[in-house]
Amino acid sequence: MRAARSGNAPIGRRALLKFAGLAGAAAVLPLSGCGATPSTQNGVTTLRFMQNKPEVVAYFNQVIKDFEALNPDIRVIQDFNEGNFVPGLVRNDPPDVVTRGFAQATADFVKKGIFADLADMPVAATIDPKMQELISSWGQYNGNEVSALPFSLAAAGVIYNRDIFEANGVAVPTSWDEFVAACETFKAAGIAPIYGTYKDPWTLSQGMFDYVAGGSLDVAEFFSKLTARGAAISADAPESFTSNFSPALPKMLQLASFAQNGAASKNYADGNAAFAKGQAAMYLQGPWALSQLVAANKGIRLGSFPLPVTNNEADTKARVNVDMALSITRNTPNMAAAQRFVNYLLEPSVVNTYNEKNAAFSPLKDAPAVENPQISGLGASVKEARYYQGAGTYFPPSVPLNNYVQSFVYGKNGDQFLAALDDEWRRVAERTAV
Amino acid sequence: MTATSRVAQTAPPAGRNLPTSASAKTATLRSRNRTDPTYYWMVVPVLALFAFFITLPALVGVFFSLTNYAGYGDWKFIGLSNYVNIFKDPAVLQSYIFTFVFALATTVVVNVVALAIALGLNAKIKWRTGIRTVFFIPMVLSALIVSFVFNYLFSNTLPVLAERFGVTPLATSILANENLAWLAIVLVTVWQAAPGATIIYLAGLQSVPSEVYEAADLDGAGSFRQFLSLTLPLILGYLVINVILGFKGFLGTYEIIVGLTGGGPGMATQSVAMRIFSGFTGGDYSYQMANAVIYFLITLLISVIQLRLIQRRGVSL
Repeated sequence: MRAARSGNAPIGRRALLKFAGLAGAAAVLPLSGCGATPSTQNGVTTLRFMQNKPEVVAYFNQVIKDFEALNPDIRVIQDFNEGNFVPGLVRNDPPDVVTRGFAQATADFVKKGIFADLADMPVAATIDPKMQELISSWGQYNGNEVSALPFSLAAAGVIYNRDIFEANGVAVPTSWDEFVAACETFKAAGIAPIYGTYKDPWTLSQGMFDYVAGGSLDVAEFFSKLTARGAAISADAPESFTSNFSPALPKMLQLASFAQNGAASKNYADGNAAFAKGQAAMYLQGPWALSQLVAANKGIRLGSFPLPVTNNEADTKARVNVDMALSITRNTPNMAAAQRFVNYLLEPSVVNTYNEKNAAFSPLKDAPAVENPQISGLGASVKEARYYQGAGTYFPPSVPLNNYVQSFVYGKNGDQFLAALDDEWRRVAERTAV
Repeated sequence: MTATSRVAQTAPPAGRNLPTSASAKTATLRSRNRTDPTYYWMVVPVLALFAFFITLPALVGVFFSLTNYAGYGDWKFIGLSNYVNIFKDPAVLQSYIFTFVFALATTVVVNVVALAIALGLNAKIKWRTGIRTVFFIPMVLSALIVSFVFNYLFSNTLPVLAERFGVTPLATSILANENLAWLAIVLVTVWQAAPGATIIYLAGLQSVPSEVYEAADLDGAGSFRQFLSLTLPLILGYLVINVILGFKGFLGTYEIIVGLTGGGPGMATQSVAMRIFSGFTGGDYSYQMANAVIYFLITLLISVIQLRLIQRRGVSL
C-alpha cells in the first residue's frame, strides 16, 4: 500500500520552469552586488587589510589608528579571519592588503598571479635580500615579480627550560652527540628529555621531521630538484624522498625515544601546560609556543637553540618560516592607498616593534640584534642566514604529510613512509601537471 | 494491515481526486487534470530552492571535476583524468574501505542498541518518562561537542583510570592506536545516533496492539519467542527505515571523526567526506570533486537498491 504515490498529473512543466527561473534570477541578483567596487566615499578610501594572526589584532588596531591619524584620507578595516581569503578570491572581492604565512599555499597564489608586483616600491630595497630569497625561492610570477615582502620571520629550534639545564649541569648542545648525551643525562635524572605531543600530528612534522630533515640535507635544493622531475618521480630516482631522507629517519626515531611516556595521547595544549610546569627539559616547538608557556607559568626561564643534527657545528641551522608576508592583491581598485599602507607597515618603528614584541625576527637589513633571551640563541643562525624552511611546508596541502609522519613515528616503518611520500608526490604532480 | 503501512498512510493523500459518482460522468477529464494549487505552492518554492542551492552547485561541481581548477585562478579542461587518477590513489581507496566498514559496523550496533533501549523503555518500568528523557539527551547535543568531550575522556580520563586499575592495554589513549581508533569513533557515533533510532523503534513498538501479546501469552509463547515471532516482524518496517537512514548518514560521517582523531592516527580514520572536503583547502578542488561525483554515484546506487528492497517489503518512505 503506497498512499503517497498517486496523483502526479503532469504539472504544467513550462510554468514550473518559468517559476524556477524567476526564483533563481531573484536569488542571483543580490549576490552580484558584491563585486570589486572602488570603495571611496567623501574622499576617504577604505582599505581592507587581512592579517593572518588573530592573536595580534590589538597591535594592528593600534598601528591602523596611528596610520589613519597620519593619513586622514584612508580608512583601514582589519580582518583577521584568514579563512575568508579564498572565498574572497572566488567572489572576485579579495582584501586590498594581505599578510599570509608564506609557504606552499601562498606560493600557489603567487603562481596564479593573485598578487601585485611590489618590486618598484622603495621599501622593497630595505628588506634583507636573504629573507626576500626565502619568498622568491618558491617561484616568482612572470619570473621576476616580487609578490610579497617579508614582515615577520619566525625561527624555531628547541625550546629549553634554563632552570632544568642548569640544575643538571647541561650546557646548550652544539653537536648531535652532545645533544644525545644531554638527553641521556636528563633521562638518568628521571626527567623527560623532550616533551612529545604526538596527538597533534602537525607538531611532529613541524618538530622532528622538519628539524632532522633541515639539519641533514639542503631542503630547498632537494625540493627544487624534486619539482623539476615532476611526475616522473619514483622511489629509486636520485631525487626521491627514499634516496634522500633515509639516512635521517633513524634520528627522528631516536628523538621520539627521548619523549615522555604517553606522548601519543598528548596534544599541543597539553604539551604547553606540561612543559610550563617543568615536566620536561626540551620542547621541539617554535616561538609561537613561548607566549603560551609564559602564560601558564610566569616564572619560567626559557631559551632556544637550533637542533644540531650532525656533529659538524657549521651544519647547525634553524628552521625559519616567513610568518607574515605583505602582499597587495593585483586587482585592487585602491592601489595607491594600499602601497602607502604597506610602506607604513614596513617602517622600522612598526615592523621592528612588532617582531620584538612577538619573539620574531625583523626582515629589515639594519634591524637591531634580538635581545629577547627566549630566542636569542637562534639569533646567530638567523643573522648568518644559516636557516632553512621546513620540509613540511613544501608539501601541497593535499598530501596529508602530518598523518604520514605520525604513522611513521608510531609504526617505525621508514621505507613505507618514504615510499608513500614518493607515491603521493608523484600523484599530485601527475594531476596538477596536466 | 501491517504497522508499516499505517506509517505510510499518515502522509496526506496527494491530490488524487477520487471521482465521486455524481461528478464522474460530467468532468472525468477535467478533474483528472485539475489539482488543488495549494500542493504546488507547497512543492514548487522548495523545489526551486533545492534546485538553486543543491542541484545547481552539484552540477557546477561535476563540471569542474572535468577541469584542473584549484578553486581559484586559471583552469582548463582535462577530460576524465581526475577520475582515472582517483582509481589509482590508494589513499582514496583506503578512505572508501574505512567508510564502508565503519558505516556497516555502526549501523548494526546502533540498531541493536536502539532496539534494546526501545524495548526497555516501552516496558512498564518505574520513572519511564524520566528515563526516556535521559536517553534522548545525546540527540540534542551537537556531535562536534560530544566528540570533543569524548576525546578528552579517551585521552586523559580513561588512561588514568586504566593505569590505576592495572588495565595496561587502555593505559595509552585508544585514539592513538591505529588499529583501535575506529572503535572509539563507532562508540561515540552509536552514543550519538542511538536515541534517534530509539524514537523510531518506540513509535513502532507502540503501534503493536497489546492483543497480539495477550494471544501469544495464552498460547504459551515465552518472551523471547514473542520478540522473535511477533515484535520483530511487526516492526520490521521501522527496522528497515532505521537501517537505511542510518547507513546513509554514517556514509557521510565527518564531524565526529574531526573531533576525535582528525583522520589519524596516521591515515587510519580518514573518511571519504574528509578526503573530499580536503579538496577545498588543498588546492585540489577538481580532483576531490571527481571523488565526490564517484561517491555520489555509489551512494545513489546503494539508495536505489535499498529503495527497491523497501518497496518489496511494502514500506513507503
